[in-house]
Amino acid sequence: MKQVDWKSLICRPSVVIASLSIIAILAFLFVNRLVHRFSEQQKALARRMFAQGQLEQRSGRPDQAIEDFRVALSYDRGNFPYQLNLARALRDNNQPEEAKSYLLNLWNRTPDDGAVNLALARLAARQGQIEDAIHYYHNAAYGRWDSDADAKRRNAQFELVDFLLSRNALPQAQAELLNLSTTLPAASEDLRLRLAQLFARAQDYEHALAEYQRVLAHHREDGSALAGAGESAFRLGRYRTAEDYLSSALRINPKENPEDEQVRQLHETSNMVLQSDPYERKLPASERKARIRDAFNAAGERLEQCAVSQGVNANAMPPESSSPTASVASTPPANSGPDLASLKKQWVEMKPKLTRSRASDDSDLLDSTMNIVFEIEQATQKQCGPGSHIDQALLLLAQTRSGVDR
Amino acid sequence: MSGVASEIESVKAEGHKTSSPESRRFFLSTTFREERFFLILSVFIGLFSGLAVVCFRLAIDWSRISLLGPAPAPHSLRVLFAPALVSLLIAIIVIHIFPLARGSGVNQTKAALYIFNGYIPFRTAVGKFITAALAIGAGHSLGPEDPSLQIGASLASALGRRLELSREKLRLLAPVGAAAGLAAAFNAPISAVLFVIEEVIGRWSAGILGSVVLSAISSVVVVRWFLGAEPLFRIPPITTVKPIELFAYAVLGLAGGLAAVIFAKLIAFFRPRLRALPKWTQYFQSAVAGLIIGLIGYLGAPQIMGAGYEYMDQAMHDQFTWQLMAIFAGLKILATTLSFASGTPGGMFAPALFIGAMLGGAVSGMQHHFYPHLAGSTGTYALVGMGVLFAGFLRAPMTSVFMVLEVSGNYSIIVPVIIANTFAYLISRTLEPTPIFDLLSRQDGLELPSMEEQREESILRVEDAMQTPSGLLLNSEETVHQANLRAQQSQADTFLVRLSPSGWSSITREVLETLDGEGKGEQTLGSALPTARLPYLHPDYPLEMALRYVYQTPLVPVVSRADFRKLEGLISSEAVLNKYRVVSRDEN
Repeated sequence: MKQVDWKSLICRPSVVIASLSIIAILAFLFVNRLVHRFSEQQKALARRMFAQGQLEQRSGRPDQAIEDFRVALSYDRGNFPYQLNLARALRDNNQPEEAKSYLLNLWNRTPDDGAVNLALARLAARQGQIEDAIHYYHNAAYGRWDSDADAKRRNAQFELVDFLLSRNALPQAQAELLNLSTTLPAASEDLRLRLAQLFARAQDYEHALAEYQRVLAHHREDGSALAGAGESAFRLGRYRTAEDYLSSALRINPKENPEDEQVRQLHETSNMVLQSDPYERKLPASERKARIRDAFNAAGERLEQCAVSQGVNANAMPPESSSPTASVASTPPANSGPDLASLKKQWVEMKPKLTRSRASDDSDLLDSTMNIVFEIEQATQKQCGPGSHIDQALLLLAQTRSGVDR
Repeated sequence: MSGVASEIESVKAEGHKTSSPESRRFFLSTTFREERFFLILSVFIGLFSGLAVVCFRLAIDWSRISLLGPAPAPHSLRVLFAPALVSLLIAIIVIHIFPLARGSGVNQTKAALYIFNGYIPFRTAVGKFITAALAIGAGHSLGPEDPSLQIGASLASALGRRLELSREKLRLLAPVGAAAGLAAAFNAPISAVLFVIEEVIGRWSAGILGSVVLSAISSVVVVRWFLGAEPLFRIPPITTVKPIELFAYAVLGLAGGLAAVIFAKLIAFFRPRLRALPKWTQYFQSAVAGLIIGLIGYLGAPQIMGAGYEYMDQAMHDQFTWQLMAIFAGLKILATTLSFASGTPGGMFAPALFIGAMLGGAVSGMQHHFYPHLAGSTGTYALVGMGVLFAGFLRAPMTSVFMVLEVSGNYSIIVPVIIANTFAYLISRTLEPTPIFDLLSRQDGLELPSMEEQREESILRVEDAMQTPSGLLLNSEETVHQANLRAQQSQADTFLVRLSPSGWSSITREVLETLDGEGKGEQTLGSALPTARLPYLHPDYPLEMALRYVYQTPLVPVVSRADFRKLEGLISSEAVLNKYRVVSRDEN
């Protein structure tokens, strides 16, 4: 019987490789178990430190919270929430570069994660990096969220609009809002109200009014919507509509607070505009003439006051003051300009015509008188600042002469 | 005889035993060549080294949490006393059980390659594993890379011995394992391969390169499998460097070079002095070092304890003021000097990187302060600073560049890295001609080949000794008679013959006359030549190569590489020896 040469057999390369493979597999299994157990211990430690960090953060100790988050992360390096929380804490603690590093690290792992993109967007917004902020806000708005995705996406969009408005990027904000308005659920009044308010802040009063009206269609008595709709209508020069909404708003919410005060002022101004408007249709002739006269007198007073405040001697500008001497005497200071003097002259020349006129429906006279009134109001506004309610009303009429909601 | 000396003697004996002629080479079968098996074995070495390094890192983390707590902070008694108390235990273990576990491990691996025929005792790996894990975990200012390198080399050596590989292969296994260990510790295979080639092996050859690369990659795969693929640091956004900013990087190179020299000189100064103290003090040297380090940590700088990777990361993200980073760099030099010189097992790679990162951050901060237009981001400077210390302290210029590139993954940083590293390397070489690893090996009484000296050694070449061709040159196409007639007009006795289409031969006057006299005058010289072709050399060949041939033939042709028929010169044994005599006289 042939004797087996065990030594040469076990020394065969294939046997050696097979043996090494088996040893490697066993070692792998052993190390795997070891790593797993150790990793569990470390993760428990990390959880403890993370919870401690959250407590510190809530207690207003961001430095300590950051340290705890760091330790937590050192024991669970790949942990997504730990990194995200650390990055947020760093960002809030004015350590933007390190926060960015963590966030970019996360972003590289999951570029579609909504929370990471939102955190990056906020960081970019804080650093004034508009393009980056918009990019990440968009990613957040269309990204993946673990829970309550629709609401979080909407919030990212709202936040983007807020950011754009804070940077005075009105056209971009308006575009984002239009996009947002198509995705909002129709029945959600709160969101519609928020959207309307943002439209108003973006100075897109047309859409703001439409959105307020959608809210009011469901909740007629919503004070905020009424006030917003009133203001939007006011900005659009639709004073009648504005007055209606604003008076309803005041009726519903008559409390004395700064916002109500603003509503009240808008309401008064709207009223004043409506009461001062000589162009209103179906206005009795006497009333129209009275309004023209009142406007004319108010403009004269305003001109007089402004001239005095600017150091221009209005009394030295008699109707006949066409002599060179008088002209020199009445030369106003450089900053008031010659307008006040010439306007005063026009006003003085117009006054007897207005007094003599009996034809209340003389449209030429109406136009020429109101033109002088508007010119005076615009010039005095420019040189002397805002005037009384009636002056502001006349100014608004001047600005929206062709668009007044009659 | 001391423990270390007796241990070295036993290593020597084992090493020679391994290289004995009786060593069986069972793999030399015709079907499975040893080279191929060596490559496969390299993969296994990588796997085992990777697994060992994973365990080593877990051991360091475990000991750190157990000894210093989850978050070492100033004013903690643990921070103050743990390094000293653990050092007492380490000293006992090292002195009585693992005497070769002292130091970093790089020189031991080199010694295995050059002195001990690839033999590294397995117990050294075990000892290094335990003691280095305890030391680093307890807060000694040392790193895990060099011990990982040695653990890898030791595993490879043990495996090679077990498989009874040839002496040649066994020698090469140590660097293969070293590359695997270092790659796993650094999570950076390219840098590990380069370091081993640049600092341990010292030469590039296809056979060893393949094995080193395979082992490094397989070990990194294992480490990433278990510990994740995340790099050691989070790399901050790297700002593009403006040309003017390169001056700032040159300043960083200068500062890094100086810091590297101070660091190396401190170690070189303290280490032999501490070792010369009475033997009983060795039980306490590491403890005293630990106590000082603990005190530094206790008083407010726990950042300098341990490897410090997390703090390098923070430095890269501008978490410290430049003054604080400068202080950390200084304290780390002091702490590492104490830890290393006291014989505590552990490596110097991580401390060098720490010092570099802090120094880079400090230089950046200082430039931000004084020349805000000149400096870029702190992270970039910290990253470049790491490479600077690598180049200046460890004297591995190639590795230093690739290490930064590999860690950062950003090639736009290459110009600043090269500039800063070059300055650091030059400053360091000028002020301290001997690299740190060579200093340490010489202190240990070992004369290992210095890779830097080898790189800088001027080589004598054939062109330095060859003579210009002046004699008659015959062609193989001409007839024997024509050649004889031409030879009559020359004084020489031996003539070179240019063969067609290429090659060289020679013929003596006597043979030529004989051939002509025998009636072979009309034959071509090429067909009648009795002697074989001559070997030839090229002018750039090392002069040593000429020695192989000058004793075979009196004149060896030196020909152009572009045209082998063009004779550039002639070289003889006398010319070679004359050249060596002249050089030797000049050197003396």
